[in-house]
Amino acid sequence: MIADWFHYDFLRYTLLSGVLIGVICPLLGTFLVVRRLSMMADGLSHVTLSGVAAGMLLSKNVAFLGAVNPLFFGMIFSVIGSLFIERLRKLYKSQQDLAIPIILSGGLGLFTVLVSMADGFTTDLYSYLFGNIVTVTKEDMFALIGVAVFVIGTVLAIYKELFAVSFDEEFARVSGVARKFINFWFIVLVALTIAASMRIVGVLLISAMITLPVASSLQIAKSFRQTIFYAILFAEISVLVGLYFAYLLDWASGGTIVLVAVLLLLGVLASKKLKRIWN
Amino acid sequence: MRNGNADDEIIRLASVSFHYEDKHVLDQVNLELFRGDFVGIVGPNGSGKSTLMKLILGLLTPTAGRILLFGQPQERFRDWSKVGYVAQQAAHGAGGFPATVREVVSSGLVGKLGLFRRLKPADREKVAAVVERVGLADKLDKRIGSLSGGQLQRVFIARALVADPELLILDEPTVGVDQESIEQFYELLRSLKDEHKMTMMIVSHDVGMMTQWVNKVACLQHTLHLHSKHEFEHHQEEILQVMYGDTVRVLAHHH
Repeated sequence: MIADWFHYDFLRYTLLSGVLIGVICPLLGTFLVVRRLSMMADGLSHVTLSGVAAGMLLSKNVAFLGAVNPLFFGMIFSVIGSLFIERLRKLYKSQQDLAIPIILSGGLGLFTVLVSMADGFTTDLYSYLFGNIVTVTKEDMFALIGVAVFVIGTVLAIYKELFAVSFDEEFARVSGVARKFINFWFIVLVALTIAASMRIVGVLLISAMITLPVASSLQIAKSFRQTIFYAILFAEISVLVGLYFAYLLDWASGGTIVLVAVLLLLGVLASKKLKRIWN
Repeated sequence: MRNGNADDEIIRLASVSFHYEDKHVLDQVNLELFRGDFVGIVGPNGSGKSTLMKLILGLLTPTAGRILLFGQPQERFRDWSKVGYVAQQAAHGAGGFPATVREVVSSGLVGKLGLFRRLKPADREKVAAVVERVGLADKLDKRIGSLSGGQLQRVFIARALVADPELLILDEPTVGVDQESIEQFYELLRSLKDEHKMTMMIVSHDVGMMTQWVNKVACLQHTLHLHSKHEFEHHQEEILQVMYGDTVRVLAHHH
C-alpha cells in the first residue's frame, strides 16, 4: 500500500503537493486568522474557480490556448480578485466584511455563467470543487512548487513587517512601516496559494485548510512563531493522514483532509478540557 | 545655519483646521512645543483631542493650515521612528492575539529598521531593557493574553519607547488602569522626560491627575489655548468651567 505512493507518479505528485500545501496554507492562514480575514480565502477561492472555468472555456474555443493550464487563469483571476477586495474594504470602511460576500457571489455568478456557456467540461470540474487525489498533474505540481518557494521566501523576507501590520495596523503606519506595500504582497501571496492549492483541497474546502490548523494551534501556542509552527504541524498531519485514507477508501481527498483537521481540532479542545479537569 | 532654538522646536501647528463634511472639529489651532515639553491636553468629549493627535501623526490631513514636525512639513516628514504613539484603548481587544510581550515590543522597531533588516542582538537587548523599564521583565515571554489591563498598557508604552522616540504621543493611556499603576506610569513619563529630554503630549480625561505631572496644559474646545502649568493651576476653576460648563465638577487631586 505505502509502496504505491512511490510507484505511481500521480501519487508522488499528490504527496509532494499536499506537503507543500500543508506549509503555505497555514503559514498565510495564521496571518489571515489574526487579522480577522479568514473568510477572504473563501471569497477568493470562488473567484479562482471562475478563472479556471474561463481558462477551460478559452482552451476549448481558442486553439492556441489549448495547452495553457486553466489553473493559470485561476491565478490571474485570484490576484485581480484580491486587489478588488482591498479596494472594496477601503470603500466600505465601516462594513469591511461586506467585501468578501461581494467577491464571493460575483465569482460564483461568473463561474456558473461560464460553465453554462461551455455546457460541457463537468468531469474535470468536480476535482476543482472538492479536490481529487488522482487529478494532480506534473504541471500542477510544478506550479505549486513555484508558488510555495515564492510564498515561503516572501514571508521570511517581510516577516517582521507582516507581524507588525497584522498586530496593529495603525501603529505600524505611524511608526513608518511600508503598510501598503506589505498588504499588497500579502494579498497576492494569498491569491496565489489558493489557486495553487485548489486541485488537492478543492475550492469549497480551501478556507478550511487555511483556518482549521490555525484554530487548533491558537489553543496551545505560546507565541506568534509557535502559532505558525503548530499550525503547519497540524496541517501536515491532516494532509498526510487525509491523503492516505482518501486513497485507501477512495474518498475525495479535500474532504478527507479537512475531516482529519476537524478531528485534530476536537482532539486539541478535548485534551485542554481534560487537562483543566485533571488540575 | 539653523539656530539652536529652531532645532528644539518639535511640533508647530499653524492655523490648523479640520472639519468633516458639515462638522467643525478644530478651528485655527496654533501650537508650538519644544524639546522637553510635557503637555497635557484637556477638553470635553468631542472637543477634538483625538483628532488633534491623529493630525499630528498624519493619520488625518488638515483641511487648512500647516503642521511642522521637527522643523519639517509633515507631508514630507519621513522620520517616523522619532515619534512614539500609544493609541486610545490600544490594549482593547489585543489580548486575544497570540503574541508574547517580546514579540509585541519588538514590533516597535520594525519601522525604524526598515525592510529586509533583521533584529540584531543589540536590538534584542534593547527590547528586553525596555520591557524591564516598564516593570514587566518577568513577563517577557508570556502571551499578552495573560496580562492585566494595566500590564498590557505598559506593553504598548514599551513598544512606543523601544525605537527611542524624541516625541511621545499618548491618547488616554490610563483608561482601565488601576490607580497605583497610573502613578507609576506618570513617574515613568517624568523620568523619561528628565533623562532623555523627551517631548510628550498626553490626552487624559483624568484632568486632576494629569495636570500634576505636566508642565503645560493645552485647553481644547475646537480652538486651543496653551497655558503654563502655573497659569492653569491659578485659573483652573474658571478655565474648566468655561470648557465643561457648570454641570461638571472636576476633581482635583491634592496629595
